[in-house]
Amino acid sequence: MAVPATKLKEKKEIIDVGLEEGAARLTYERIEQVLNRVINTEMAARMKVYVDTCIHCGLCSTACHYYLSHGTPESAPVGKVKQTMWEILEKKGKVSPEFIKRASIIASTECNVCRRCSMYCPYGIDIAYIMATVRRICHLLGVTPQYIQDTAHSHSATMNQMWVKEDEWIDTLQWQEGEAQAELPSLRIALDKEGADIMYSVIGPEPKFRAQLIYQAATLLTAAGVDWTMPASPGWDNSDMCMFTGDFEMMGRIKRTHFETAAKLRVKKIVMGECGHAFRSVYDAGNRWLGWKMPPIPVIHATQFYYELLKEGKIKIARKLKEPVTLHDPCNIVRGRGLHEMMRYLVNATCENFVEMYPNREQNHCCCAGGGVINCGPPWKTKRVESNSIKAEQLAATGVHLCIAPCHNCHGGLEDIINTYKLNMHTMFFIDVLMKTMEIPDSLKA
Amino acid sequence: MATIDFKGKTYEVDEDGFLAGGLADWDEGWVDYVKDIEGIPVVGDEHWKCVNFLQDYYKKNGIAPMVRIFSKVTGYPLKKIYELFPSGPGKGACKMAGLPKPTGCV
Repeated sequence: MAVPATKLKEKKEIIDVGLEEGAARLTYERIEQVLNRVINTEMAARMKVYVDTCIHCGLCSTACHYYLSHGTPESAPVGKVKQTMWEILEKKGKVSPEFIKRASIIASTECNVCRRCSMYCPYGIDIAYIMATVRRICHLLGVTPQYIQDTAHSHSATMNQMWVKEDEWIDTLQWQEGEAQAELPSLRIALDKEGADIMYSVIGPEPKFRAQLIYQAATLLTAAGVDWTMPASPGWDNSDMCMFTGDFEMMGRIKRTHFETAAKLRVKKIVMGECGHAFRSVYDAGNRWLGWKMPPIPVIHATQFYYELLKEGKIKIARKLKEPVTLHDPCNIVRGRGLHEMMRYLVNATCENFVEMYPNREQNHCCCAGGGVINCGPPWKTKRVESNSIKAEQLAATGVHLCIAPCHNCHGGLEDIINTYKLNMHTMFFIDVLMKTMEIPDSLKA
Repeated sequence: MATIDFKGKTYEVDEDGFLAGGLADWDEGWVDYVKDIEGIPVVGDEHWKCVNFLQDYYKKNGIAPMVRIFSKVTGYPLKKIYELFPSGPGKGACKMAGLPKPTGCV
């Protein structure tokens, strides 16, 4: 019996200059050549083993927020592999420019490489890695969404993601030092201090637009009595959008510059601000591309650093936040690196009323901004927000109005969801919470 | 691409609500529209100083300025900029001035 006809919601085609112009330049010969190079040399047998091992059980489907939000077969992780890598292997690289454009859309805007599906796969197939490889292929073919490609270009021209020039970076730090000294006269943002214990590194948007985060970090580091410095030369930006476009050569250069800057300053370790993808790039992707099993200089995420400062009694909490709060676990620091219990220690130490969202910890749903998806820019925003109605439900169920999220992209993604689904919620970084709750010793004040 | 109808005028915007045609499509009506969606009670001289500066800088450099330069030229400390534009220099002020959405993790 025929299924009754239902009117499907009309979808407008999204036009992205990067994809249109990139695909228009392609030839079948070039596609086949690049595809076979990636499949046969860079990836060796791995892709074929992954695709052949998959038994199409579909357990990955309900792990994916795109599937949970849309419920369509093509939005399931296995469906995304079927439409991309599966076909590429099956056809031995003989695919059309139109196919590559569609593959780029799937890999760059319909997958956050969040790895939740990999966790649910009974064979442990790293589906996110397959999608990252599809992006790699699209990068080599020059078919990448325009906005994120612009960010990758900024990385290659300036070693930071927001076209910040060297003098502007230094000027920004000195400006924030000046503003912070009105509160704590002895505060210094020491540039290029050789032999300091810690190099503090951030991501481009902090100096570009959100300089208050640097002010706040300087306040915390001063109050905790830490011997720290920030580099005056390129290498201060720990972020890496090239990791997400598949430009692994640039990814490696950016990571090498970051670590070499720390080595030049002879610091004991690097502490990085509250960013998820940058953390993935230093402990997982970039270091391995460079052939380093582990980072050559210890590097820790801000949340772990705050946890250690609190545990060691270097910072003390004077008053706790009374407002009920919930916590969003960013994929890259939780599924990627297991920092979830440290974050809970922080929340409980600073907030009186902590309400968990469900699922949580390594089971948490992605914000749908990560993995470079929000960086693909305005053309893809509506699709991104519609593809995460499950997150809106998860946030709404907590019944609270404040969500802590220690990651820049999570903030962007959650704010878009909060505004679109009218959730009456706002987001904070841990540093924002600490500024409201921690004790600033009187001896440091003006 | 979507369109916004506001007080008898139509503006083409991207999905983040930035003016798609950029400065060529920008006018005072757009400022009035952004004021409402950003929850800014009144657009005063201080807002206009920011809008004029952002447009000048963008015309010369093809990119939005660092917030440091924004602060230095207008004379407003960072806190003041956030008071004028609650969603910040990148999302709020650039939108009102008709600049495109900045790239990067914003």
